[in-house]
Amino acid sequence: MLSVANLTKIYANKFDTQAGGVRDASFELASGTFFTLLGPSGCGKTTTLRCIAGLERPDSGRIAVGDRVLFDHQLGIAVPLNLRGIGMVFQSYAIWPHMTVFENIAFPLRVSKDRKYQRDEITRMVEEALDTVGLGGYGERPATRLSGGQQQRVALARAIVSRPQLLLLDEPLSNLDAALREEMRAELRRLQQQIGVTTIYVTHDQSEALAMSDLIAVMENGRIVQLDDPRTIYFRPASAFVAGFIGAANLITGTSQDAVAADGIGAVRLEDGSAIACLFPKGSAAGASVTVALRPESIEVVPEGQQAASGEHMLRGTVASASFLGGSGRYDVQIGPRVLRVVGSAETMVGAGATVGLTFPPTAAVVVGG
Amino acid sequence: MTASSTAAEASAAARANPKTSWLSGDPRRLIAGILLVVLALLMLPPLWILFLDSFTEQDAIGEITGFTLGHFAKLLADKRAVESAWNSIVFAIGSTILSLLTGGVLAWLVERTNAPFKVLAYLATIISMGTPFILHVIAWLFLLGKVGPLNDLYRIVTGADDNLFNVHSMTGMILIEGFLWSPLVFLMLGATFRAANADMEEAARMSGATVFDTLRRVSLPLAKPALLALSLFVFIRSIGAFEVPALVGMPARLYVLTTDVYAATIHVPPDLGYAAAFSVVMVAIMAVLLYYYGRLSRNAERFASVTGKGYRPRPFDLGTGRWIAGAIIIFNFMIVLVLPLITLIWMSLLPFPKSFGLSGIPLLTLDNFKAVFTVGGYTELAVNSITVAAGAATVVMLLTALAGWIAARNGPGGRVLDQLATISLVFPSICLGVAVMEVYLRVPLPIYGSLWIIVIAYVIRYMPFGMRYVYSGVLQLHKELEEAAGVAGAGAMTTLRRIVAPLLSPALIAGWLFIFLIANKELAIAVLLASPTSKVIAVAIFDQYVNGQGGELAAFGLCWTVLMTGIAVIFFAQMRRGAADVYGN
Repeated sequence: MLSVANLTKIYANKFDTQAGGVRDASFELASGTFFTLLGPSGCGKTTTLRCIAGLERPDSGRIAVGDRVLFDHQLGIAVPLNLRGIGMVFQSYAIWPHMTVFENIAFPLRVSKDRKYQRDEITRMVEEALDTVGLGGYGERPATRLSGGQQQRVALARAIVSRPQLLLLDEPLSNLDAALREEMRAELRRLQQQIGVTTIYVTHDQSEALAMSDLIAVMENGRIVQLDDPRTIYFRPASAFVAGFIGAANLITGTSQDAVAADGIGAVRLEDGSAIACLFPKGSAAGASVTVALRPESIEVVPEGQQAASGEHMLRGTVASASFLGGSGRYDVQIGPRVLRVVGSAETMVGAGATVGLTFPPTAAVVVGG
Repeated sequence: MTASSTAAEASAAARANPKTSWLSGDPRRLIAGILLVVLALLMLPPLWILFLDSFTEQDAIGEITGFTLGHFAKLLADKRAVESAWNSIVFAIGSTILSLLTGGVLAWLVERTNAPFKVLAYLATIISMGTPFILHVIAWLFLLGKVGPLNDLYRIVTGADDNLFNVHSMTGMILIEGFLWSPLVFLMLGATFRAANADMEEAARMSGATVFDTLRRVSLPLAKPALLALSLFVFIRSIGAFEVPALVGMPARLYVLTTDVYAATIHVPPDLGYAAAFSVVMVAIMAVLLYYYGRLSRNAERFASVTGKGYRPRPFDLGTGRWIAGAIIIFNFMIVLVLPLITLIWMSLLPFPKSFGLSGIPLLTLDNFKAVFTVGGYTELAVNSITVAAGAATVVMLLTALAGWIAARNGPGGRVLDQLATISLVFPSICLGVAVMEVYLRVPLPIYGSLWIIVIAYVIRYMPFGMRYVYSGVLQLHKELEEAAGVAGAGAMTTLRRIVAPLLSPALIAGWLFIFLIANKELAIAVLLASPTSKVIAVAIFDQYVNGQGGELAAFGLCWTVLMTGIAVIFFAQMRRGAADVYGN
């Protein structure tokens, strides 16, 4: 449905170094996909979105929706944003304060160049959009008298009222408080599936991205570093950056030993000489220095002396600190020169200073690169 | 479809949409182009003509007969020119210090302490916005003058028959100019003190500092960049001031730069080369000062420690000292408002100028007020003034609404538009008067001698103010409000009409009112451009004062002040409203 190829837009700052922007981004989205651009601030996710919307002109690349080319650097095509027919929800919602809720939502229909909408048609479509976002009956309210969550819904209604093929969401939940954010997250996903509109969602919140998306692109310094479904992103991060960004992963360095088995399991020798079984990506060479990502919640804390289950590896260490977080218990465990973060059960906790064993399955230790 | 036809279509599409950013399409470029031409035609000729006049010899009808540096040589050789330059500097420094002291102390007391009677300070400021400068000056001349109450009192108390104080002196000029500026300093510094972060002062108090220590070690250093910028601003305006030097200094043959230019222009035959050369020198000085002002005020913005929403500065508790503070506020209120007002009322009720005293009471009469409303001329004058000021304000706001929007959004030609619109800041009013007069003497249109020339001069003069209002108004609008309209399908013109214009209207109205008010106070530009058939109020008051018609003038001035104060009230109400609706943030 949407295809973006080699999209590049670079902002130069006065020190002539890269100050942000996007480099060589490419992706294809099937119709109805909920696609998330995920990354820290300044990684280029918003620039990518704004290029697709037509708010920025890319330096090079190509953007097409279906057969319709929106931008092509080589052919010199750049469709003005107001003719692109894309719906967008802005981070600040951008609800026009001098209009009523109804007029805000009706605006895209009133200024439409594709076709003229009749008065009763506009009324019907706006009311439909209001119902869809759960704001039925709010039409005549002044836009200034809305709560944050309501503004969010109005912005969404305005973005979908003319039934666009593509919906862009620029960190729409970042201005809401935590409880409302949870609620709107589910709501957005439900709505998107109900309408079936292809959606691009920009966020720096990895839990939002994992919960809502069909497909996630993790971006770093203007580049897409991994493009996969949420489970793959989480369980098979392609780099230390992705592993670190997606969850607080422990990153351990070591050296890969001999050949990797057909199931991708191989051994990594750590600096202290002990070896652990890890999951390798395809085509890894033996003897290379590697980084292993180990997620805190895949590690189990067991009493010292207990044997590891078959196929699992066991590391021994001392609890440096233990914190009770309510839902879970968090440990920093000193193993040789390094500290591993572990999240375990909060029911029974080990105190600081105790010597413990840590076990984890090989599939939880993922080699993420050199 | 063949490959070549696709490419041809594509390049046709590219020609049709030469976009660099989403709004920089044809409509905005067209507007920017038109604005560029209009602004260039309006703003540049006065500058050009000054240079031309200052470097050329001209015959009696203004034909250029040769190039010369003679005018500048004459300036250097002329002892009077050097003397007026020196006088200007002394005058400007003196009035800057006085106004900063009075206005600054007042601003701090009102904004940051629990001093009583704060409302009086605002009242004085609002009314002074509506009063033509020249009325203030006349009132002060009377108060401090030979027959005024000050010298009267001195003679009665000491029995002497000379004067304690000669108002027509440098001291008199500085006193009057300083008090004229103090309300503006109060307003501007008040904003600075309001925006200052009270936490920093409270932290100092918690560390054991007294109020005075806190003020000296924390508040003042924090406000220093803003103070410096403001002093330079007042200095610049005092260098360009005309009313006080003309009415207070000239009778004592005490000339400053502006009055020297004025004298050379109204001299028969006018020495325009000399006036132009003098103006060029002043414009150059202004340009340098403005450059530093720009740097200082940017610096001040960086220092501003405004915090987020719902922020309310906590005032200092002065203890019993608050009654002293209250006394200072009342004293200032008396000086800035009550004394001049009483003087004007006294003058307006007497058939001829007479000192304050019981002996005047039997003479009191309303004849002057009757004359204002029955004798012809006054109504026409009022209509003229209002027309000119309203016309200029409307033209400025229309032009700057577009230019300021394009500039604030970094649109096509934005920087050039901004510079063109603000270039007239380098003119002291009197020099702009000379320049505009010269330009439109040469233009073969029936503009010279009509009200139009005053409108044009005001438009040039106040363009920078309009630009400021629009520019900061646009910056307060979240950019996404416009982008959302674009994404929703609106073109640039639709966005301008349906989103930007309505949201900008508070800033536009405030700018219009501000220009309308200050245009009605302006004397220096109009004094050279007004003809007997096209006078505005400030000029008429000036002429009448010079001719000694004090009573009618005071009566008329009072009526006018009441009207303008009403408009000033609307202006401040509008500012308040504008401040309350910062949209989209």
